[in-house]
Amino acid sequence: MIVLVSGLAAGALFAATALAYNVMFSTSKVLSVTTGHIAMLGGVFGAYAITGLGLPPLLGLLAAIIVGALFGYLTDVIAIRRVVSRSDEHLWLLSTLALATIVQQGVGLWWGTEPRPFPRLIPQDFSAGLADQKYWLPIVTTALLAVALELFYRRTLYGKLFVAMSEDTFAARARGIETDRIRALSYVLAGIIGGIAGFAAGQLTFAFFALGLTLTLNGFIALAVGGLGSNAGALVGGAALWLLNAWSSNTIGGEYQNTVSVGLLMLVLLLKPEGLFGARNVRPV
Amino acid sequence: MKFQGRAWVLAAALFAASPAWAQSTIKIGWLSSLTGPLSSAAIAENKGVEFAVEEINAAGGVLGRKLELVTRDTAGDPTKAVSFAQQLVFSEKVHFVIGPVNSGETLATVPIVARAGVPNLIIGTIDELVDAKKYPRAFRAINTNRQWIEAANKYALEVLKKHNVAIIGDTSGYGTSSAKTATELLARAGVKPVYSALVDPNKTDLTDELNKAKAAGADVIMPWSAATGLLGRLINTRGDMGWNVPIVGHPSVMAPAIRKLINKPQYWENTFAAGPVSTTFRPDGKLPERTQALADKLRPRLGGGEIDYLFWWVALGYDAVKIVEHMVKTAGGTDPAAIQKAFESTRELKGAYATYSWTAEDRNGFPDLDITVNVANSLKDGCFKAAPR
Repeated sequence: MIVLVSGLAAGALFAATALAYNVMFSTSKVLSVTTGHIAMLGGVFGAYAITGLGLPPLLGLLAAIIVGALFGYLTDVIAIRRVVSRSDEHLWLLSTLALATIVQQGVGLWWGTEPRPFPRLIPQDFSAGLADQKYWLPIVTTALLAVALELFYRRTLYGKLFVAMSEDTFAARARGIETDRIRALSYVLAGIIGGIAGFAAGQLTFAFFALGLTLTLNGFIALAVGGLGSNAGALVGGAALWLLNAWSSNTIGGEYQNTVSVGLLMLVLLLKPEGLFGARNVRPV
Repeated sequence: MKFQGRAWVLAAALFAASPAWAQSTIKIGWLSSLTGPLSSAAIAENKGVEFAVEEINAAGGVLGRKLELVTRDTAGDPTKAVSFAQQLVFSEKVHFVIGPVNSGETLATVPIVARAGVPNLIIGTIDELVDAKKYPRAFRAINTNRQWIEAANKYALEVLKKHNVAIIGDTSGYGTSSAKTATELLARAGVKPVYSALVDPNKTDLTDELNKAKAAGADVIMPWSAATGLLGRLINTRGDMGWNVPIVGHPSVMAPAIRKLINKPQYWENTFAAGPVSTTFRPDGKLPERTQALADKLRPRLGGGEIDYLFWWVALGYDAVKIVEHMVKTAGGTDPAAIQKAFESTRELKGAYATYSWTAEDRNGFPDLDITVNVANSLKDGCFKAAPR
């Protein structure tokens, strides 16, 4: 049971990363390498605000959100805006990879390359076992994030603009939507999601500078398995990836864990390229 | 005219003297990962290296020649280490290379330094780094990984009398090969681990592994990993489970970084790791004389108060330069072939970190006797208490 719950908590973090991917992808058709780094920043700056500056946990969360949002916005300004407007090639892969590397190395120099502790957010003894906050916090947070995102898409004007852009950017622009502004907004929103997720899972991951790339990869696998563009898919993909990870490290050994998860990605891409919940894009010619 | 003539003489003398002066320094290349992963070890070693160079130069140098330290920061990156190694041996034409600090970097640089025929002092622990035939001028000052593992195995089996071993390695190259060596060495003692697992260093939870180890009847956990995050989680999981089984393993389980990662201070009890005798407090609470003497000399440079570096790194850095001094004196100069002979004939050279001996066949200078087992949570003044026997 404990294996199930602890694995699900890690899967929840992958799923939250997949959600952030989705939000950015919907408006820009870009899969940013920086996605995992947002969550890393949420964890590091949350820990810094609470342990380093002595702020209460709520302000620590706020710090994680602000840093995440800021980083999301900067990603758009630095790595996306000009690249996407000037070329149809997938140069964003390089620009976001460069930004991700810069941020990771910068945090490494400032924060240090050893993992540092993330503070307890709610007073609780460490002997709580399954009920420990480090497990349920990321699970509950990711579930809430998914529900909130769904409500945002369905109930708010901005959410509808996101959906419109994800369906057809040119048509949206023709209808008078400021697509540049909406895209920037989506990057800020992804930053907030990533920041919250990284903060909620901090006790599980520690505040560690090199977490970003692991999350970028695993979040992407969760997304591809669940289906690009689908938030339900992101959740299911995260859970599926966790199940497979737990199973593989349980039966064939931890050294094959990454091989198995990347193998899952290959399998899904071969058999069902649109993912479990993805919409099959049929373009009439 | 007379004045002009004198000026000429003076200029000629200066001209003649300058290459002689350049020849007269002994150049030591120091490949140190002062930034990046594992920088903490390199920074501490650098304190010892710099101090030794200054001390020797203040006393007039070696055979009348000053030491000149040429430091290059590899950032822990093997590709940088390779280009700096080439720069040091081919452009800077150093007489010695110390380092690099990490085994992964050293694997890449050893062949380069060997090809240039420059004596190389190895401070990485994995076995493949020295080879009397392939790299005749590479000599190791630090203990080997095998020595750490043997000491920990011996402590678990013979002192704690625990024979149901659970081995936890990580999935990095170092973790995997160390776990394999540990299993082989246990097999020689007739012990087969009841459980063994390789874990991704970033895995967020070790409950599964420890539950299985417990179910398999393990009575000692032996982690072979240098990943402090993983080791912190291991100690926390054992504590959260309320499972009071000893942990005996890699020196990283006593790293100061662990102290911050553990949930409660008492979780760190009943945890032991291999470490050098030189930085282990004796039963009377004192350090070995040579270690204490170095600590006293260095204390003002390390902040004045309690030393918060792992002192064995500092002592190793200090010794590395003192070994160079000894070899130049023995060889009567810096001729590489003579230096190699000097190394091969060195027996029981007393340093602060260890007492070194090398032979024509054996490039490992650190003796088995100089390794012991420490209590993990006993760090004081950069040194540790001996594990109870």
